[in-house]
Amino acid sequence: MLKKGLSLIVVLSTLLWTAGCASNANSPSASSGEKGAEASAPPKAITLAYSEGGSTMDPAEASDLTSDTLVLALYDQLVTYGKKSTDSGEVADTEAIKPMLAEKWDVSADNMTYTMHLRKDVKFQSGNPLTASSVLYSLERLKNSDSGSFLYGMSSIKTATAPDEHTVVITLSQPNHMFLQILSLYNFSIVDDVLVKEKGDGEYLKTHAAGSGPFKLEKWDPATEAVFNANASYWQGAPNLSKVTMKFTKEASNRVLLLDKGDVDMAIEIPAKDVAKLETNADLKVQSNASNRILYFAMNNKVKPFNDPKVRQAISYAIPYDQLIDDVMYGQAKQMKSSVASNTPGYTDAGYSYKHDLNKAKQLLTEAGYPNGFNFDLTLGSGFQDWADDAVLIQAELAKIGVKMNVVNVARAQFLEQQREGNLTAYISKWTSFVNDPGYHLGFLMYSSGSSNYIHYANPEVDKLWEQAGKEQDENKRKELYGKAQELINQDSPWAYLYEYNRVVGMGKDVTGYVYYPDEVIRFYSLNKE
Amino acid sequence: MAVYTLRRLIQMIPALLGIIVITFIISRVLPGDPAVMLAGEQATPETIENIRSSMGLDQPKYIQFFHYVVGLFQGDLGQAYHTGQSVASDFATRFPATIELALASLVIAILVAIPIGILAATRKESIVDHISRVFSLIGACMPIFWIGLLFIYIFYAKWGIAPAPMGRISGDINPPTNITGLYVIDSLMTGDFVALKSSLSHLVLPAICLSTGTMAIVARMMRSSMLEVIGQDFVRTARAKGLREGVVIYKHALINAFIPTLTVLGLQVGYLIGGAVITETIFTWPGVGSYVTDSILAADYAPIQAFTLVSALIYSFINLGVDLVYGLIDPRIRYE
Repeated sequence: MLKKGLSLIVVLSTLLWTAGCASNANSPSASSGEKGAEASAPPKAITLAYSEGGSTMDPAEASDLTSDTLVLALYDQLVTYGKKSTDSGEVADTEAIKPMLAEKWDVSADNMTYTMHLRKDVKFQSGNPLTASSVLYSLERLKNSDSGSFLYGMSSIKTATAPDEHTVVITLSQPNHMFLQILSLYNFSIVDDVLVKEKGDGEYLKTHAAGSGPFKLEKWDPATEAVFNANASYWQGAPNLSKVTMKFTKEASNRVLLLDKGDVDMAIEIPAKDVAKLETNADLKVQSNASNRILYFAMNNKVKPFNDPKVRQAISYAIPYDQLIDDVMYGQAKQMKSSVASNTPGYTDAGYSYKHDLNKAKQLLTEAGYPNGFNFDLTLGSGFQDWADDAVLIQAELAKIGVKMNVVNVARAQFLEQQREGNLTAYISKWTSFVNDPGYHLGFLMYSSGSSNYIHYANPEVDKLWEQAGKEQDENKRKELYGKAQELINQDSPWAYLYEYNRVVGMGKDVTGYVYYPDEVIRFYSLNKE
Repeated sequence: MAVYTLRRLIQMIPALLGIIVITFIISRVLPGDPAVMLAGEQATPETIENIRSSMGLDQPKYIQFFHYVVGLFQGDLGQAYHTGQSVASDFATRFPATIELALASLVIAILVAIPIGILAATRKESIVDHISRVFSLIGACMPIFWIGLLFIYIFYAKWGIAPAPMGRISGDINPPTNITGLYVIDSLMTGDFVALKSSLSHLVLPAICLSTGTMAIVARMMRSSMLEVIGQDFVRTARAKGLREGVVIYKHALINAFIPTLTVLGLQVGYLIGGAVITETIFTWPGVGSYVTDSILAADYAPIQAFTLVSALIYSFINLGVDLVYGLIDPRIRYE
């Protein structure tokens, strides 16, 4: 028995050794061709820790943060956002639209026709020139896509034509003040039509790049990492970084550790409770920006007792705002005072009068005919620790005014499904508007037939203001109309506003050029390492 | 023996068919719409309808089932929507990682637990026995995620002797030339000591972490079956013949005591696959376990169904293997 075992081991090990003739992936000869030959300065590389691995690289189908990040590294758009400096670092200026693939554009007097003049010097990474037909092809793909088609619909594009190779004329079905902003989104990336048609379209773009962007894809494996190399012949000049690696690490505590130990240069989605710890590390800096991500306590305006605005207002007076922000979010959030995020141009807190005041809440409940309170179910989706913590604190406050809130825990997938059915009595949810405009935001959430208005908030006055503002070409008048709508919504209190999240990104001291965008996607092109 | 094996293989078929039906039904009746998960919060109802129809979810359930089964017989495990790849290609890149982790854990558990079990049995009530009892208790009680986080905190964050918990090999080192997909074996086969060192250092912590539970159970099992065997007549006879104690224990007693332990080891493989789910998530180990976790969270049907099916297959074959090995160990066991 023993002898048999021994001889087996000997045979196996000799087999292993003789198999040594297969090529060795780390021998000096095999690892050549790794380094970019054109780099005269020492190559700069950055590693970022992300949580999710992404699901597609197709610009028309991307709808999660990682997929969007991949797309923006590989592709360009016709126009892009400007940048501005704030106290908390550089942020995108969504009101200043800058040329990108379109070097200039003319707008007709009726704001219905945009003539885009394309740059003539842009080549795709394949070497194919970028022409008007590439733009038409990309728009057509987006129109027929599954995920991105709704944004195409939001853009109001009716037709797009190409009078010559470097001009695209886009005609809208109606004037749309958000048109250029929407055109800057990743879904509107311009793809290499010649290459894609060679490859037979469809599935190819899911896992391959066909863009003109600043980075080339070396590898993307949703299980482990995505690796990009600089596109040295990028039309805006080669990027500062020669290599960017995204490491997919689901555990938030691991991302914090990796950053703390210096094994990654940047980490996103840092839990609020770890910010203070990272800030004590002298080799790191933490950039925390007020984001467009809002968290709200939604009450179904069609379900008793929440059909009575007084009851909803009472709930708004019962929320322990400071506790939520200090104890749950460790100060990495701020109080929300309108249904629109405070970063959004045209935001106003007019009509917002709520603070934590149980006497006032009790009084409103009595006026509404519920002196002894009532019972209701709060549906809580899984996946966000802060939501659960908030629910506990809110539950305790409501109990003090006789309102019994039962927390019904469901898995995230189930929650999203139930939310869409529109029958939930109350729930906590977040929202980020990609287009930084009150019209976009309110149209989804507060317009009576808005596609994400799952609580059936319906105020004819608000609907009318929103429709008027959509047609209004004068920016100041438009903001006034949106302001009026916000004021009415604040008074109606269809939600109790909880807080606006900060977007927290941790990075090494030597990392520069990080810019916060409302879609929370990091653009690698501006990053640098000193 | 051959007839027995064939009969066992045929008996697997109804079990597997049952699993195909059950996983399909379970994944479909579970609440949560994959299209809604995929579409994102700003998607309109039209967008969700588009996604549903391109997923084939708008068809009646029996048609979906029919397509699924037809696909299976063509070797098509379906599409994983949350990664955008086919399940087969996702499995191809991830299964080797899980197998490597599970095998390493099994090897560690056997190498540690069997000698400890023997020692604890032959030196009953000694200090060795007591220490092994305490360790078995700890190993059996501590949840995997807790051990994993503890390991990362101590060996990586505090002492800096373990590599960053990111995958199977350091980012600046090429994975070894792909032969089996198991990095350690492949590095050995290609004589790639750079990759061997890195992949071993990445493998050690998660493998120990995953093996703790198995280690504890196998050690206790080995001890009790050894104790039982030592008290039997043939051991007394062997001693009476004047055989040395070592020969008595390691030649006569061990083989007989090993049979119940082998049963437990076979059952533990299932536990290792389950435990890999947690271990992989903690250590960012790019295996099937973390992949299935993500699939469940994304309500992504195809990978869940495929993983259940493959796990059932593995389990069935291991059970059969264990039953066949009994006969090799103990010729008195007959197959009818």
